Amino acid sequence: MRWKQFLTPVRSIDWRQAEGLIDEHGLQEITFLDVRQPSEYEAGHLPGAVLVPLGELDKRLAELDKDKPLVVY
Amino acid sequence: MLRGKGFSDIYNLAGGIRDWKSPVAVGTPDQGLDLFDGSEGLEETLIIGFGLEQGLREFYLTMSTEVEQHDVAKLFNTLAEIEVRHQEQLLKQYQLVTGKKVSIEDFSALIVQPSMEGGMSTDEYLSRYQPDLSSMSDVLSLALSIEAQAFDLYQRAAGNATDEGISEALYKIADDERAHINRLAAMINSPH
Repeated sequence: MRWKQFLTPVRSIDWRQAEGLIDEHGLQEITFLDVRQPSEYEAGHLPGAVLVPLGELDKRLAELDKDKPLVVY
Repeated sequence: MLRGKGFSDIYNLAGGIRDWKSPVAVGTPDQGLDLFDGSEGLEETLIIGFGLEQGLREFYLTMSTEVEQHDVAKLFNTLAEIEVRHQEQLLKQYQLVTGKKVSIEDFSALIVQPSMEGGMSTDEYLSRYQPDLSSMSDVLSLALSIEAQAFDLYQRAAGNATDEGISEALYKIADDERAHINRLAAMINSPH
């Protein structure tokens, strides 16, 4: 049984640390996840961020790569 | 909601986009993706990227002839030269991938759909950002915004690509855009 899957901690990082994650892992190995509404995304989003509004997250989890670090905002 | 769903690492971005200090992009999740609709191969993907750089270069060169202030005109020329260097990097990538020895002039002749970086037109950029074209800092901020759009588009296109080689190429171009953004940010922060 994969206990770790139930224990994934969520760490809080600031924007500099997020940029550091990109430097460390590379652009294609990080997912920035925007959980706001489409209108908010359209008005401004982190470059490359994937939009999955919070209310749809449960149904769309399969779209996200579970092996990549996920930065959520 | 994401805990216990099998993700390896989850981070919460403190302060969200409000506290994000690097450039942000605007537009819908599929904006500009018509340029990379999935039917193009790797070579064509690189040609499209080159075309986008060319579109931006032409915009900067046009602006350099239209503004009155000499230092702003000079800045536009500098920005155009930076685009040429970026084009040269794309050409190198194309040569590596294809094994073809083409000149930048031959490569330019392959551009089918000139358009501007980030998938928006010149007018759209000017209308959205309304820069004061007599101000060096406004011009640099405009350039930064355009590069942020390009950075955004290439990443979204890379994530969308089903071919691994194309995805990697697009991420490489996105990496180059990130370096470009950092360079522009340094220009903004240095005394003019």
